[in-house]
Amino acid sequence: MLLALLLCYVGFTALCLSTDRHHGELLHSKPSPNRRLALRLAGWLLLIVSIWPAVHTTDWGQGLVEWCAVLMCSALLLVLLLPYRPRLALILAGFSLLASPVAAVAIL
Amino acid sequence: MKEGFRQAMAWLHTWVGLIFGWLLFAIFLTGTLSYFKDEITHWMQPEVQAHPLDNARSLAMAQTYLQQQAPNAARWFITLPDSRQPGLSVMWQDKVDPGKRGNFIRKRLDSLAGSEVQARESMGGEFFYRFHFQLQMPYPWGRWLSTMAAMVMFIALITGIITHKKIFKDFFTFRPRKGQRSWLDGHNAVGVLVLPFHLMITYSSLVIFMSLVMPATIVASYGSTDAFFDDLFPATTNAPALGQPAPLLALGPMYDEARRQWGGGHVERLVVNNPGDVNASVNVIRAGSDRVVHDFGSVVSFNGASGEVVRVSTEQSLPMAISGSFYGLHMGHFAGPVLRWLYFICGLAGTAMIGTGLVIWLGKRQLKHAKTGVMPFELRLVEVLNIASMSGLMIAIGAFFWANRLLPVGFVERSNWEVQSFFIAWGLTVLHAMLRRGRQGWVEQLSLGALLFIGVPLLNALTTSQHLGVSLVQGDWAMAGFDLTCLGCGIFLAWAAWKMQHRAVAQPKAERARAMHLKGGVN
Amino acid sequence: MKSKASLPVSYRLAVTSRALAAVFGGYLLASLTSICMAFWLPISRADAVVSAMMSSFVFYLLAVIWCFACRSAWRAWFGILVPSAVLATLAGVSHWMVQP
Repeated sequence: MLLALLLCYVGFTALCLSTDRHHGELLHSKPSPNRRLALRLAGWLLLIVSIWPAVHTTDWGQGLVEWCAVLMCSALLLVLLLPYRPRLALILAGFSLLASPVAAVAIL
Repeated sequence: MKEGFRQAMAWLHTWVGLIFGWLLFAIFLTGTLSYFKDEITHWMQPEVQAHPLDNARSLAMAQTYLQQQAPNAARWFITLPDSRQPGLSVMWQDKVDPGKRGNFIRKRLDSLAGSEVQARESMGGEFFYRFHFQLQMPYPWGRWLSTMAAMVMFIALITGIITHKKIFKDFFTFRPRKGQRSWLDGHNAVGVLVLPFHLMITYSSLVIFMSLVMPATIVASYGSTDAFFDDLFPATTNAPALGQPAPLLALGPMYDEARRQWGGGHVERLVVNNPGDVNASVNVIRAGSDRVVHDFGSVVSFNGASGEVVRVSTEQSLPMAISGSFYGLHMGHFAGPVLRWLYFICGLAGTAMIGTGLVIWLGKRQLKHAKTGVMPFELRLVEVLNIASMSGLMIAIGAFFWANRLLPVGFVERSNWEVQSFFIAWGLTVLHAMLRRGRQGWVEQLSLGALLFIGVPLLNALTTSQHLGVSLVQGDWAMAGFDLTCLGCGIFLAWAAWKMQHRAVAQPKAERARAMHLKGGVN
Repeated sequence: MKSKASLPVSYRLAVTSRALAAVFGGYLLASLTSICMAFWLPISRADAVVSAMMSSFVFYLLAVIWCFACRSAWRAWFGILVPSAVLATLAGVSHWMVQP
């Protein structure tokens, strides 16, 4: 579940950054169309990829339920952090991105 | 016409949300607590010892006990302990005239010794579980009401989605410290981000009681509900008693055989029909926690006198698997500790969604009457109900836990009195809300709630030997987790009370400043 | 919210009418769609009944939305009762066709 959580969190952060409003809030600049597209693709890709670690460790039924739960709670965490601790939100995303390969190796 | 549609849905969302919001808040909160009902029961009956699991021995103990205590019962039920629920419980139904429901008598046994557990009588977490769908009303009215509330919740969710124009644009938007705007952002956030859970829990609760609330289909196809259930669950049609006595064989080998049939699956319960009769039947029921999709019919049936396998339930059909999925997802039996906490968080989010909705409903309309200072009766009613159903309910829950520790252990009626404390406390909060002005009502009740919940671990330390110092060391996570969660809840309520108090103080100051400014302007 | 005085009685009657149509008419429509589905689904009887009951709530939802989205209270009732009558007739016919 941990790897799925990390990937979901980064995915949502990417999707969040791909919007003008939140990119402006967090990075104090307007995203270029290329960057917006890249962030959007990356975000969706990460969310979809996060299904794999969830179902890999258990069966499809349990795995999908865990994935949904992790999806919802990671989104909730991000949205609650954004207005109060935007820098922490970004740092967590960076950390999650770095920790993902480590967590992936642990599963395999 | 598009605008008209959205507006109509917004109107519908607002009104059904209000009328059923108070009830739904209570259902959601008690339902969320139910995910930890076993842990709550453990805290409320600290005398029940958890032993390492030995199901063969527990089963033998249970059978001996029932043979002694209820040899002529119509049915025996044996529920085996598992990792979350340490108790071995037995139940039997007295034999009565056909057509009548016999009395059910429940007992908890020590899972190793087989003797009755001398623990304080308490409903424990079961109270919250049963309340959230029975609402303390007699059968079947409570279930009807809670299912109607579920239908309203479904309507509120869908109309909410239709109404929320910027559902994707505002997906990550939460702007605190902006008054009404923040409340709406919060309501949208806990609504949209946790939407899969809310839709699942709401629709599944409809499916769970669908036989009760949509009987027309059953009657039209089968003529009676009995015929329907017999067709659906052939495994539970048991042979009637022949009236010839025959000793019941040991249940252990049947337990083992059932597990073998399921490839190592776990047993949740055994039901023995007509023990002591030559046609006694033993139904071994599979644990729901084995898989996400609940299989109601997963039963291996034996003849009790001869021990032979009468029937093994077959693979579920797709429609049954779908309804089993709804049931399994709603109950969450399959969830391990981490997933269980995630369920809990999602449940709290749903509760918060309803609560914020109620606050917004009143807040929007209160603004129009802020200048006059006098609230019309309808708004005052909503305010009282808001306070009593939210902070009042928290106080009632706290009172329930306090009653558990304060009522004497040996007091026979204590289980009933724990429940009564819950309702008495809740009733008093309604009175209090009626007598105190809005802000004061909130602050006082939230403060009392904070005191009650922060006091729970302290009370535990004073009245039992299982306080945090002991439970954390022993690794009794259920006990420690309960104390810590109550502490956390108390801190949250204290923070909420503080926030309310400060907003209440700020307003008059602003009023005074404005009044002086106007005076100065006129002069 | 306007004060009590300015909401005309006709508005309140219309809302009440729509609400009744939604609550009771909706239930009727949901039950009838469920009965018909249970008859017509080409699967075993038990499975058909289960599937029909599970789906019935969606029809209830649609009926409720119709009652409040349509242009008048009369249309609300019309939109409930006409399909109900059609479904009831079809269900009745199916039932008597099955029984010789």
